[in-house]
Amino acid sequence: MGLRSIIHKMTAPSHHGHSPSGPVKMILIVNNGLKMGKGKIAAQAGHASVQATLNAGQKSPLVLDAWLSSGQKKVCLKGDDADHLLALEKLAIEEGLLTSKVHDAGHTQIPSGSLTVLAIGPCQDELVEKITGTLKLL
Amino acid sequence: MSTSEDSPSMALIVRKDLGLSAGKMAVQCAHAAVSCTMASRKTNSRLMERWLNGGARKICLKVDDLQSLQQLAGQAQAAGLVTHIVKDAGHTEVEPGTITVLGIGPAPRRSIDALTSQLKPY
Repeated sequence: MGLRSIIHKMTAPSHHGHSPSGPVKMILIVNNGLKMGKGKIAAQAGHASVQATLNAGQKSPLVLDAWLSSGQKKVCLKGDDADHLLALEKLAIEEGLLTSKVHDAGHTQIPSGSLTVLAIGPCQDELVEKITGTLKLL
Repeated sequence: MSTSEDSPSMALIVRKDLGLSAGKMAVQCAHAAVSCTMASRKTNSRLMERWLNGGARKICLKVDDLQSLQQLAGQAQAAGLVTHIVKDAGHTEVEPGTITVLGIGPAPRRSIDALTSQLKPY
């Protein structure tokens, strides 16, 4: 093993470096305070999941592979408002999970810059369960 | 961030006859968006980069039924665009294997408009 790979091994985030040992999922939490239409929500959820996927490709490729090859399970939940989404994001980051936020460009329906969707994961079910377990399905 | 007429776009086309809930529809569209993105990363990465840098434009449209969706998928494939058809695993709401959403693109705005200009936003 060369010096570089030893350094890499020591400094790489171990949490994301392993294959997941259980089922993995991605959580999409929609800002329900904005009263977006169905199509709007769908497009925003699409943004969030693409961002989260590309982010995971860089930071935890093994988890991403496991998620893609197991049918890319996604769950869509509702959050009360932007503050609620930010609080959940903070909890997820403290757990070492990947997060992505979508701010709308505001071409339609809602004010520009609104926080519309928070994505958490993909990650192992039980890691995210304690953060989002009490939220309702959208 | 560019929002010019030419920046690439992705269309997410949903069957309205299934009457999916907002959450179900969001998840199905997210499936289509991720799968199209991963596919185009392999086949046309420059276009995908332009799409991402231009704000990853997405539009959600509706079709009446499965037949219209499949017809549109055929037209998009014939035009050489990236497509992905989402089949639901059927854990909730619909029967397993039901086709719910068609994703087209990222593709040049003109190509998307040529196929979908008749469709209404969801």
